[in-house]
Amino acid sequence: MFRETARGINFRFMSGEISAEEITRYFLKRIRLGDGAVGSILALLEEGALAQARELDHRKSRGDKLGPLAGTPILIKDNIHICGEKTTCASRFLEHFVAPFDAFVVTKLREAGAIFIAKANLDEFAMGSSTENSAFQKSYNPWDLERIPGGSSGGSAAGVSAMFAPLSLGSDTGGSIRQPAGLTNLYGFRPTYGRVSRYGLVSFGSSLDQIGPFARDIDDLILLQEVLAHHCPLDSTSLANAHEPLLTKDTSLQGKRLGVAFELLDRVDSDVSEVYHNAVETFQELGCEIVPVSMAFLEYAIPTYYVLSSAEASTNLARFDGVRYGRRSPDARELEEVYRLSRMEGFGPEVKQRIFLGTFVLSSGFKEAYFQKAQKVRRLISEEHKALFERCDMLLLPTTPTPAFKAGEITDPVHMYLQDLFTSSGPLVGCPSLSFPAGFSKTGLPIGLQLEGPLMGDRETLRFARAFQEVTPFASKSPPAFDKEFA
Amino acid sequence: MKGFEPVIGLEIHMQLNTKSKMFSPEANRFGDEPNTNVGFVDLAIPGALPVINREAVNKAILFGLATRATIETTSYFDRKSYFYPDNPAGYQITQFYKPLLVGGQVETLVDGEKKTFAIEHTHLENDAGKLIHFPNFAGVDFNRAGAPLIEIVSHPCMHSAKDATAYATAILAIAEYLDITEGNLQEGCMRMDVNISVRKIGEHLLRKKAEIKNLNSFHNMELAIEAEVARQIAFYEDHPDGSLESGTYRFDLERRQTVLMRRKETADDYRYFPEPDLPPLVITREEIDRLAQRLPELPQERYRRYVETLGLSPYNANVLIHNRRLCLFFEEGLRICKNAVSLCNWVTVEFGGRANERSLAVDALGIPARHIAELVNAVDDGRITGKMAKEIADMMMTSPNASPLDIIVENPRFRPISDTNELDAVIATVLEKHPQSVLDYKNGKDRAFQFLIGMVMRETKGQANPEIVRDLLLKKIEMM
Repeated sequence: MFRETARGINFRFMSGEISAEEITRYFLKRIRLGDGAVGSILALLEEGALAQARELDHRKSRGDKLGPLAGTPILIKDNIHICGEKTTCASRFLEHFVAPFDAFVVTKLREAGAIFIAKANLDEFAMGSSTENSAFQKSYNPWDLERIPGGSSGGSAAGVSAMFAPLSLGSDTGGSIRQPAGLTNLYGFRPTYGRVSRYGLVSFGSSLDQIGPFARDIDDLILLQEVLAHHCPLDSTSLANAHEPLLTKDTSLQGKRLGVAFELLDRVDSDVSEVYHNAVETFQELGCEIVPVSMAFLEYAIPTYYVLSSAEASTNLARFDGVRYGRRSPDARELEEVYRLSRMEGFGPEVKQRIFLGTFVLSSGFKEAYFQKAQKVRRLISEEHKALFERCDMLLLPTTPTPAFKAGEITDPVHMYLQDLFTSSGPLVGCPSLSFPAGFSKTGLPIGLQLEGPLMGDRETLRFARAFQEVTPFASKSPPAFDKEFA
Repeated sequence: MKGFEPVIGLEIHMQLNTKSKMFSPEANRFGDEPNTNVGFVDLAIPGALPVINREAVNKAILFGLATRATIETTSYFDRKSYFYPDNPAGYQITQFYKPLLVGGQVETLVDGEKKTFAIEHTHLENDAGKLIHFPNFAGVDFNRAGAPLIEIVSHPCMHSAKDATAYATAILAIAEYLDITEGNLQEGCMRMDVNISVRKIGEHLLRKKAEIKNLNSFHNMELAIEAEVARQIAFYEDHPDGSLESGTYRFDLERRQTVLMRRKETADDYRYFPEPDLPPLVITREEIDRLAQRLPELPQERYRRYVETLGLSPYNANVLIHNRRLCLFFEEGLRICKNAVSLCNWVTVEFGGRANERSLAVDALGIPARHIAELVNAVDDGRITGKMAKEIADMMMTSPNASPLDIIVENPRFRPISDTNELDAVIATVLEKHPQSVLDYKNGKDRAFQFLIGMVMRETKGQANPEIVRDLLLKKIEMM
């Protein structure tokens, strides 16, 4: 059953072949047996998941109408609230924090009948590109357990890649869904900003954060995204027209203009370059007109992204002060110490670094040179990005410069930030962006590429990927070590 | 003071009386058990997001319309960062770069002189919680956290404590007329920060200023301004070429002194930047027009009506318009009373004075405005004398539900003596006793005639109808 798509599992449940409880027990057991080497899971939600499953079985036996994901297990990144379960953000600060409400997306998933079987590991507060910044455990790439699965949604990616569930949720601020998806042979989608409500997602960079889906199959991803994308009155940045049907029968790309930026290949290794060239050929065969474009603005995207996301993060994380919830240092004797010691003990080095950076770029005397300059560059990038879509319908970009690197291999933060070279401009613009399985390195590591559409062009972006999946074998490949039952 | 001129600007924080908070659906209500009106947004629970309360926006727009401010159809919210236990998110959501209301003005009387004070801008923001101190720890009550505020920032356009009080009073009156605030200063509905500098008269530039924070009564504000102005002038008199340091002060009421809290050089860096959780606040022309239709009569319009149409004195009109409840009370009486001038006198002076002795407001006495109006009408109709009316007023104070008309009917002594025979006898006695006054009057001294009327009134214990006494007395003297 682990190889099954979400739709396949839902079908088997609805046809009466298997109960939701059996499905849930099966995947819980698979995680228990298989996750030791992967480290993708922070908490198994055994009790809650089984209760959900029994409820579904009960409702099914009553003949109730059930949602499109009924009986389908899903992993939730541990910075998204499930009421009554812990939301740790992989941080010591929130180690014991229990979510007092459901995230809007969790509400939508409940309605759709999905079963929350586990909370997935991440870089602390979603800050990182390797999931090595989790305060609790490292996660590894099922394709090579010496390598990282990417980040920050590394647990969500590794878990679906190891087939612990057909679906998971991640959050993407500068590439945190797409980069791990690319490194683990998954589809990982960052929707247009505002399509998916952020209510119940612990904020990192509010103007950049988007929740999005992971799946091994494009139609699963589309189905999940349709469940997630709804207007939410509790998130003021939620779009009024957030929802739209995403699955289209028409997979023809005949005459569509695909923008390709070969200049970017100077920045990637030869495996990625080859995969990119092959994909361009495939899209050409699918009827696309290839339009060479220049994306010189990517040079500026990383610094702009780090200035803005850190600025927002420094204030979003100010609420973690030890006064109302979360960690309060037992050594604190007065107010100043409550703040200083609780935060010193509660936050890891990467989080502290971003808070320092964010506080600095907003501080008087430096704000004009950093924060306000970055805001201007963000606008310019948006304008250039928009202009590209006058000449093409879709952009093709690498997801990462290289396949997955080894755990501990990158220690220099600036080097690590280069992981975001191709993923940080999309969030600055707010456009939809999808990493899809596009090939493998000579050593058998997965390589993802990105399709990036214009604002609100979510359906078209997914349609391109669907057409690609129909004619390529990559998405159906699984990590060999996990393509088996565990006993 | 000689040769120096204070320059004063006010920042007024006013709580709006909306049903829910500025960015959350929790009740905007005070006096409840601590931490009962708090939700996820108010406690800054991670994952909770702010949503703008349009009722608060509308109330701010009404204030803008009433002060003739420019209403920005697109304004923005910003984060203001600082750590304090009553500030749950670690930042306040305010409007720093592009506020909702720009400009505006307030007209009012200061010592009988009409003045216009200019508002720089007015913006929306949320309030903080409240620290409660216990012997060895402090608690935070978040009921107030997230309450909607408007901050009204004036130009440095005031030059005395009286100016500042008149301006603040006028602002409060406008807000009360618009019903956008509860206006209760004791409960912190309106808090004032005052910026003060002094300069030599004739100077154009502003000198270094002191900011006195968090004054919550007009009286304290007046004392604080006077104390600070005196301190600064004393400094410049001692150091003619010296320069004061800018700083933030609080007012120590007992010592009547401003006390330095921190110098500006070490001031907090609030790191303002646009609030990414909220989209721009967009207001349409139609919305503004719709709100404009809801504008009630405003204090200055009412002032003009009182002076020009009702004939009240500027002083009385000014007293009335700045007290919304007293004004409503007066207006209620006005419905059945034609003599506005007299009604105003009875409401503000006669009953006002009596109420004051009991430390109450006139409208809190339990006496219906209608009864006061009936009393005034009874005097105007000549059914009772003014003197009787005052006595009846005393009786109304002790039994607030009693109608003055009933009191008049039930007490024979409140029936004026109009019987000419009875009065003729009294007048004859008075004239006999005061021949000199009669002579004086005949020699052209009007005051002597008034004296004679007074004597008759005394003899009749005030029950005589003064009009009739006057007529009879004239006739009698002519016959002599």
